[in-house]
Amino acid sequence: MQSLKAGHLDASRWERRLQKELMSLMKEPPPGVEVDGDQAEQNLSLWTVHMKGAEGTLYEGESFQLQFKFSPKYPFDSPEVTFIGSNIPVHPHVYSNGHICLSILTDDWSPALSVQSVCLSIVSMLSSCKEKKRPPDNSFYVKTCNKNPKKTKWWYHDDSV
Amino acid sequence: MVIASEAGPSKSGREKEGSPEEKDDRTFECNICLDTAKDAVVSMCGHLFCWPCLHQWLDTRPTRQVCPVCKAAISEDKVIPLYGRGSTKQEDPRNKVPPRPPGQRTEPENNGGFPGFGFGDGGFHMSFGIGAFPFGFVTSSFNFGDHHHQRPAHGAGRGMALLDEDPFVSKIFLWVAAIFIMWLFYA
Ligand SMILES: [Zn+2]
Ligand SMILES: [Zn+2]
Repeated sequence: MQSLKAGHLDASRWERRLQKELMSLMKEPPPGVEVDGDQAEQNLSLWTVHMKGAEGTLYEGESFQLQFKFSPKYPFDSPEVTFIGSNIPVHPHVYSNGHICLSILTDDWSPALSVQSVCLSIVSMLSSCKEKKRPPDNSFYVKTCNKNPKKTKWWYHDDSV
Repeated sequence: MVIASEAGPSKSGREKEGSPEEKDDRTFECNICLDTAKDAVVSMCGHLFCWPCLHQWLDTRPTRQVCPVCKAAISEDKVIPLYGRGSTKQEDPRNKVPPRPPGQRTEPENNGGFPGFGFGDGGFHMSFGIGAFPFGFVTSSFNFGDHHHQRPAHGAGRGMALLDEDPFVSKIFLWVAAIFIMWLFYA
């Protein structure tokens, strides 16, 4: 009863779900996506995913790094997903500090989603981009935002990009 | 742009995953914890979950209750529990809180037949009639929220005592009856 009230799977099930996700992501990664398995196995709550810009898109030839942080409430609570490292994609929904404006990462999160489906959404978000530019409020946002993008009240106004 | 359409959400890569046997196993995985569904329930839209998992999700977003898989409206009283053959066994009580919503069942046409003594399928039935009990215990309408013992009623209400509860209660009743009979003899 306590674990239910706290709103998370008990530790072993939380671990098992992440282990299953890790296994399937390592075994059958979506094209251009590669998880750092060793790191994830050492610390299941912090993953790094390497992502390649898809061929035939504005990001072809580039590579990016995504960081996933899982709270103990995962999968009821969405993971915290940011771009990290030296190359943050220039995209209207990606701030220069790596924060991503993507509704499935907050409001539209569902526990049936997974690291894999988040990666696919991000690949697809990048692939459909028509012009490489930062969000219009980038400099203000980056100066004022919380370190955790989930603390941002995102306003999802444009689903097309 | 070909790549973009390939990476779309419609093709999550699930179709091509794993060997056929592996796929079979996955059919009965909970969509939340990814384990074989425990205390399984299915939503009206057909998606399978462990009841504790789904309940936690509904608790997480009380104002926006949607199916985690397809976003259809969902609610506690509209999910259907699934009882597989192995589901009568005792389970970890933590998984029983909160209780799974009951299945909705209508009584079939009364097809009669004395049920006799039944010691099957993990439960314990006891049926007996004694003149000293001029009334029948009609227990088929009781529902104690213990769904692991649900089974069709056996012609209840025909003037015979019928117990269809959990073994503990049945045992107590057996003792009370035995003491009562002894009392009849020795009094
Ligand atoms: Zn589950
Ligand atoms: Zn559904």
